[in-house]
Amino acid sequence: MRKYHLVATVALLWTMGATASAQWLSVPLPGTPRTPDGKPNLSAAAPKTSDGKPDLSGIWKADTTRYNDNLLPPGTEAPMLPWAADVYKHRVSTMGYERPMTFCMPHGVPDAFTTPMPFKIIQTSGDTIILFEEFHKYRQVHTDGRKLPEDPDPAWYGYSIGRWEGDTFVVDTSGFKEGTWLDNNGHPHTEALKTTERFRRINFGRMDLEVEITDPKAYSRPWKSDTIHFLLMPDTELMEHLCENNRDLQSLQEYWGNKK
Amino acid sequence: MMRAKVAIAVGVISLALAGRALAHHSFTAEFDATKPIMLTGTVTKVEWTNPHTWFFIDVKNPDGSVTNWGFEMPGPAQLLRQGLKRDSMKIGDVVTVDARRSRDGSNNANAQTVTMASTGQRLFGGTAPVP
Repeated sequence: MRKYHLVATVALLWTMGATASAQWLSVPLPGTPRTPDGKPNLSAAAPKTSDGKPDLSGIWKADTTRYNDNLLPPGTEAPMLPWAADVYKHRVSTMGYERPMTFCMPHGVPDAFTTPMPFKIIQTSGDTIILFEEFHKYRQVHTDGRKLPEDPDPAWYGYSIGRWEGDTFVVDTSGFKEGTWLDNNGHPHTEALKTTERFRRINFGRMDLEVEITDPKAYSRPWKSDTIHFLLMPDTELMEHLCENNRDLQSLQEYWGNKK
Repeated sequence: MMRAKVAIAVGVISLALAGRALAHHSFTAEFDATKPIMLTGTVTKVEWTNPHTWFFIDVKNPDGSVTNWGFEMPGPAQLLRQGLKRDSMKIGDVVTVDARRSRDGSNNANAQTVTMASTGQRLFGGTAPVP
């Protein structure tokens, strides 16, 4: 009898295994407004939490990789101090070969939102959690009323608190360590960086983000990103993405290292 | 003047990057979009891994010798969303690959499209939207 159960279980698992990825990638999610034919209604109104605030929860992805290349609106330049302009020029002229991802380090704030990979927002009453598919990373935005730490240990993603201004979720972040680039082109920052991210869910299927960059050690004045548009990815889940087979590093280092 | 040059360079690179959905390293730093190569060969290995999937094919040269070529594709998550699975390409399959060569001159390239040679079935790329 026990043997029969084992065989049945193995058979079931084998059958499930054949379609596991499809079920994972295409899974009807509860709470999704739908049209009469059962498809997600992406133009439905933005959902609200029990306290009446917009609910940003969902799986999102930027509608283009343009912001990931350059955070600024087209045709504009960041007010870089001379050293920052030199760093930027070097990074552009070497085609970004030294960007953190080459070494399996993730994008940071704000550019983890703009990669070609999705992220998942889980909004609760005291925290808004962002899970990034890229490299399996996360950010926490605390909404329990705490202040930003005064002497934080510098961190890759910094420390984030969030508040609501009307229907806009405003996230202030500071306490960064150097290392991330603000975008793939390579706008630099220092530990003095502070970011303010403003999220607005337009409807069920769309969300916008504007980011203000303040870093007096790298830029002569605060500056704003282009408006970043996100599209909801309905009825799906995040997949694992790690850095277990980085074949690119050696090639990049050899090619660009030899050009120096 | 220098600023204008940097702005132009950034513009060119941004254009070159447009449509590339490599979430990991810089595409343009590793591969040369101006060096396309089309090869047909027999699959010898598939590495269904992050951050990039790689596969390798043996290609017969005009002189009868055989060269093993390696091709990079997006990682499994992006490929799964395009309908590929870890067993979509098997060792022994004969595939045609349209790719862009590595800048380092090695026998590596970035796959743009992969087609099953016997059936013409497009496995990857082309009109399929890259997420």
